[in-house]
Amino acid sequence: MGARQENGTPRKLASVTEEEIANVTDNEVRKYLRGEGANLEVWTIVVTSWDTLDESPENFMYLQVIQDKKLKGQLAFREELYGKSAKAAAKAEKWLMPTEGGYLDAEGIEKTWRIKQDTIAREVDISSSKKQYDIVLPDFGPYTLDFTSSGRYMAAAGHKGHLAIIDLQNLGVIKELQDEMMLIGVTGIVVNENVEFRGRGTLMYVREAVRDVVFLHNELFFAAAQNKYLYIYNRDGTELHCLKEHGAVLKLQFLKNHFLLASINNFGQLHYQDVTTGEMVNSYRTGLGRSDVLQVNPFNGVIASGHSGGTVNMWKPTSAAPLVKMLCHHGPVTGLAFHPNGHLMATAGMDKKIKLWDLRKFQVLQTLPGHAKTLDFSQKGLLATATGSFIQVLGDFSGSQKYSRYMGHSMAKGYQIQKVSFRPYEDVLGIGHSMGWSSILIPGAGEPNFDSWVANPFETSKQRREKEVRSLLDKLPAEAIMLDPSKIGTVRSARKKEKPTKQEREAEIEAAVAAAKSVLLKKKTKGRNKPSKLVKKRQQGIERAKRPLLEQQMEEELSKKKKRKMSEDNQLPKSLQRFARKTATA
Amino acid sequence: MVETKRKTRDESKGNKGGGQRMRNHTNSNQKKGTKTNKREERRKRTGPRLPNALQREIDLKNPRAPSISDEEIDSDEANDLYEYEEAIPEEQSKKNRRYDPVDNLEYELPDDFKDENIASDDDDEEDDEDVDGARGNQTADNDDEEDDRRHARMLQDITGLPSDAFESKKRKNNAVISEAYPESEYNPSRDVLDGDGRISVQDLLDPLHGKSGFSKVRKNLHRMERKSMSIQAPLPKPDREKLERKVAYEKSKKEITKWEPLVKRNREAPTIYFGEDVELGFSTIGAIASEFEPRTDFEKKIASLVNDNEVAEAHNKDGARLLELNKLSVEDVKDRQDRLAKMRNLLFQHEMKAKRIKKIKSKTYHRLLKKDRLKSAASAIEMDPKAAKELAMKQEFKRAEERLTLKHKNSSKWAKRIIKRGMTVQDEGTRAAISDQLHQHAQLTRKMNSMKDNSTSESSDEDDGDEMSTDSDNDGASKLLEKARQKTHEVLEDDELPKSGVLSLPFMVRGLRKRKEAADEEAKLALQEYESSLQQLKGKSEAESKKMGTLSGRRAFGTESKKVQQSSSKIKSDNFYSNSDSEDDIEVNEDVDVGQGKRNFTHKDVNIDPDLLREDSEVGHDPVFKSFDDIVKDPGPKTTYEVSIFADNSWHKKKNFKESNQKKESEELLNGNADNTSQVLERTLHGQEMEEVDGEGDTDDDGRMVDGVSISSTKSTYELPSQKDLIRSAFAGDDVEEHFEKEKQEILNEENPIPEKPVVLPGWGFWPGQERKRGRKKYDPAEEKRKEDLKKRKDAHLRHVIISEKLDKKAEKLHSKTVPYPYTSKEVFEQSIRMPIGPEFNPATAIGALNRPEVVKKAGVIIKPIQYKDVNPHDAREDHKRSGQRRKNKDSGRAINTMNAKKMKAN
Repeated sequence: MGARQENGTPRKLASVTEEEIANVTDNEVRKYLRGEGANLEVWTIVVTSWDTLDESPENFMYLQVIQDKKLKGQLAFREELYGKSAKAAAKAEKWLMPTEGGYLDAEGIEKTWRIKQDTIAREVDISSSKKQYDIVLPDFGPYTLDFTSSGRYMAAAGHKGHLAIIDLQNLGVIKELQDEMMLIGVTGIVVNENVEFRGRGTLMYVREAVRDVVFLHNELFFAAAQNKYLYIYNRDGTELHCLKEHGAVLKLQFLKNHFLLASINNFGQLHYQDVTTGEMVNSYRTGLGRSDVLQVNPFNGVIASGHSGGTVNMWKPTSAAPLVKMLCHHGPVTGLAFHPNGHLMATAGMDKKIKLWDLRKFQVLQTLPGHAKTLDFSQKGLLATATGSFIQVLGDFSGSQKYSRYMGHSMAKGYQIQKVSFRPYEDVLGIGHSMGWSSILIPGAGEPNFDSWVANPFETSKQRREKEVRSLLDKLPAEAIMLDPSKIGTVRSARKKEKPTKQEREAEIEAAVAAAKSVLLKKKTKGRNKPSKLVKKRQQGIERAKRPLLEQQMEEELSKKKKRKMSEDNQLPKSLQRFARKTATA
Repeated sequence: MVETKRKTRDESKGNKGGGQRMRNHTNSNQKKGTKTNKREERRKRTGPRLPNALQREIDLKNPRAPSISDEEIDSDEANDLYEYEEAIPEEQSKKNRRYDPVDNLEYELPDDFKDENIASDDDDEEDDEDVDGARGNQTADNDDEEDDRRHARMLQDITGLPSDAFESKKRKNNAVISEAYPESEYNPSRDVLDGDGRISVQDLLDPLHGKSGFSKVRKNLHRMERKSMSIQAPLPKPDREKLERKVAYEKSKKEITKWEPLVKRNREAPTIYFGEDVELGFSTIGAIASEFEPRTDFEKKIASLVNDNEVAEAHNKDGARLLELNKLSVEDVKDRQDRLAKMRNLLFQHEMKAKRIKKIKSKTYHRLLKKDRLKSAASAIEMDPKAAKELAMKQEFKRAEERLTLKHKNSSKWAKRIIKRGMTVQDEGTRAAISDQLHQHAQLTRKMNSMKDNSTSESSDEDDGDEMSTDSDNDGASKLLEKARQKTHEVLEDDELPKSGVLSLPFMVRGLRKRKEAADEEAKLALQEYESSLQQLKGKSEAESKKMGTLSGRRAFGTESKKVQQSSSKIKSDNFYSNSDSEDDIEVNEDVDVGQGKRNFTHKDVNIDPDLLREDSEVGHDPVFKSFDDIVKDPGPKTTYEVSIFADNSWHKKKNFKESNQKKESEELLNGNADNTSQVLERTLHGQEMEEVDGEGDTDDDGRMVDGVSISSTKSTYELPSQKDLIRSAFAGDDVEEHFEKEKQEILNEENPIPEKPVVLPGWGFWPGQERKRGRKKYDPAEEKRKEDLKKRKDAHLRHVIISEKLDKKAEKLHSKTVPYPYTSKEVFEQSIRMPIGPEFNPATAIGALNRPEVVKKAGVIIKPIQYKDVNPHDAREDHKRSGQRRKNKDSGRAINTMNAKKMKAN
């Protein structure tokens, strides 16, 4: 038996010797350097004459990139500081991240994907084995799941109106929503005998279809996409808001850093709502029909939606046109997932293909055969795909972005898996299916070391409150969502000559007028220095200054009008279009 | 050297004698006495003169001859003046023969004397001035001399020594001390007085003989004598200055360059620290106060008083004694204080209130106040007949006054004007004012007793009205009901059908009849309601129930009409659609109605996931999407079709109901739908049409799907898919690529628009018969540019991707417009900002250094000018140890400070 799992066994801190920490490899440091600094010594070669392209030195001129000595000195100092900082960070990492992730180790002819869950359960410690369970709730249809970023809480939503929030640490059902209808004891449905629910939760209905559920910034609030509207509840199940503008939402996503709730409804409308202010940041019609495939890219906050035309569209809240439109499949897109680093996207289509895309180049890295109804990447980069009642976990172990089979798991026959979702900071895969939800162990899935500043599974309420305040202070504006957020602060590309805005134009005119006003007029001799003349002259000066600007504006307006007229001509009613004069194309 | 010096001195001595003489002296080497010289000159001047040119010629030929230059001629006038003033010296006048005769009056120049030709204009002038200045002195000196001489004579007489013994001494002295004396017989220069006439260097050296440094001086002298060289003419001023500047520059350069490394270090330092070593000293007032030492007399006095033990004791004891002297009990005092405070408070409040009231300018307030006063007065009237009488008198007086003056009868100028202009054009306020005035007039002129009657009648009226209203409420309701009943009866009886027009068409008639029937039913229902409510009314139930009754009656009426309308529309639509289905439709409609009223859960949940369906239908994992052509032959979806029929039907019905208004369109749709169903059977459905249906059907389907949740009534684990879902999934993949390509082209055209071409009308711009040559395309720069732009796009080589190149205006503020100042290249700038410097992204040890400001200084510390420090320019930048070390410094600094303070004290 070669199955081994090293989940959550911290390396002893004593084993980390000083020496080990002192030896920081360049690779580790480079991670924290975030790219290369400007090369201060580089000389670029400028070809001075193309006539004779031999390598004689008179043909070339050498130019240093930075000629400014002072700047060079400053930059060198900065780089030095950066280097020190990176080195310190690399050292700190050794102290702060002592645990290593678990993995499955196959011996001989064993294959990792042949290892069953029960064999794993036999090998792991009790606390880990408690994370394997099935919860059978056959009456409430397929379940969807969502975890908080710390992985401690899970929201489950049964399609037929069951909502539950579960504290996964003690497996106590915090609150399940119900009107007044029925009470079912949850204990006893659990398949795993090790697991039992503390306390009896009350199973409830919202008496409406629940299509999706998503946590907001912490476990206190969650949004549920119900039959007609989108609702926000708090942890106790009290309805806080009914967001009617979203319509009948099919899929929800929450952007943690921007505090935006994104939804796509059955008309294919995409809505972004700021949950802090309640403002509807933007809403677009995708114009691509109904879609229930929506996923946020954790790296940049761009939202991707998969459509029936086989396209994946990436959206940001500040432009109605999609940022990127990719033709990924020849059939409808059924599933979509992003790697946590944001550079890898997995899509699944009806054309029996699962594709992995490099988002930096927008090219396919790998095409795998198979269906997938739902996809999810784990924190460590494992990819779970599920179709029917079968789950497959793919892993990239060679480090060459080539995903291969890692594990498999099949549910009981007839279970229809609705959603798979890795639990953060745990080697656990949550599965929502038509008969309830299940949890299985996938060694090596979760990040073994958590950063309490980012997400703390053992958060106290006070910490949570503080974090809420901090995250609100650090809230990013919606404009900051772009394909490459590292470009923020850089020089904007002056590719196109932009038309000046109205304000700019006004400012320009104002400046011209002010300049004209400030011109000192000559004092004339006695008797000629009439104030009325002065005023007149000044007025003339102002007019003269204004004129070219106004003329330009007029011209633009005229051209716009012309264009409009042209387009109007084209938009005759259909019956009359045959009479429209065709623009003669020579 | 020495000789030359002496010569010059002699010369200057000669000058002292007078300008005239000097000039002669310099011009020629005549060795004549001043007297003769003068005479000669005078003679010359008086004689006939040669013309200037001739004179010059002669001068040239005979340089020794006395030449008189122009200057001299010019200066003649001065000489004249001079001569005029000159008196004959006493010695010459020989008045009283007091002076000794002197033999050697003439000054003899040595043989080797060479005159220096240094007479320049400037010198002359200077000399002239000197002479002028000296003249004044001369007379005074002469007096002194005379005194001296007398004194000498006196001495001679007394002592018997020759007068020379005294005089010479004196003269010598004179000569040494000052040379300001004019040279004359009586004041000869020193060398004249000494026999051979001159002092050599040897003479000067002799007294130094045997003293230290003598040999050195002598040696120097020897050397100088040996190396006798002529003195160069001094350099011109600019050159001299240039040289001076050069030297100064060299020197200051040297001075300044020593600072260079220091300045360079400071410039290169990322952070400069100012006043680091300055110890700010005490931080708190307490610390400062504890260190206080009296220094001035005053302070010392105060300190002595404050720190005096006796005083302190006395103060302490005195206070206690004072308390003892107080016989008042604490309670008494407190009582009194309280009382006083209360009084004061009351007084104060009253004052404040009065002030406030006095300040109020509001007319309303004063009016109200007046009203109150009147009211109280009125009550007083009732109580007091006298007051009443008085008031009546007052009123009567006012009435009389009004009747006399007619003050309020629009007789004022203002009112007349207003009326003249017409009331209609006035604004509201004016009108109100006018009417107000009239009213006032009426009130004033009215008889007193009429007021009372009026008020009573009014109240009675009101009572009546109240009763009436209550009655009428009941009556009105019943009347209304009656009316409604009659109307409904009319409606029921009136079943005329139109005989002409569109409405007479058979299907219309049929529809109308149907509508009629429905309406009749409604009416009957309403009638029943009316009856019951009427009965209720008659039953004299309570007021509330009455009200309810009326309300319900009204409501019923309203709803009835609405329903009638609804049903009519339904019927209409039914007629239009199909004959056979109409009955079913009505049923459906009814169902829907009921559903609207209550919540029914009868509808089956037909939420279907296409995948589930697929999974189910195809046992195993047979893909639907093997290829799109395969689907046609695929037996899998057959079952689904059966389901879909069912689903479609229900949907269809709904459709009919909902879209009853848009008859034509929906009919088309219906046809389309029917087509679809048939086509689904044959698997030849066109994608676009399907989509249309899809879009339309979405809402309804969802609504129905989740209208009510079936509570575990369905035993199947999943729901049946709706047909549109199936169709969507089945045909979505058709022509995806082509579609995408088209889309991409559109977007490209939008973002990089095709350049507009001038519109050319056919037949214009060409001669007939001339045809455009084919195959030769004109070079179009705009077109070329577009091509270039398209090539530059990020998605130029990615066929399956469209990357929008639209600029996001909102995000523009997150970028910098230009490369900021010290940077010149974009890349370098971007690389420099790649690292975040916040505390979240860096270890605590690095944050301080990353975020340190350029200048670190303590607040309130004066920055001292830079001081020179030896800095090795090749030293590496020393690391600034800030923590730890500084603290240590601080402590030591404090110690030093206290020491200094102590020292100061000691001083």
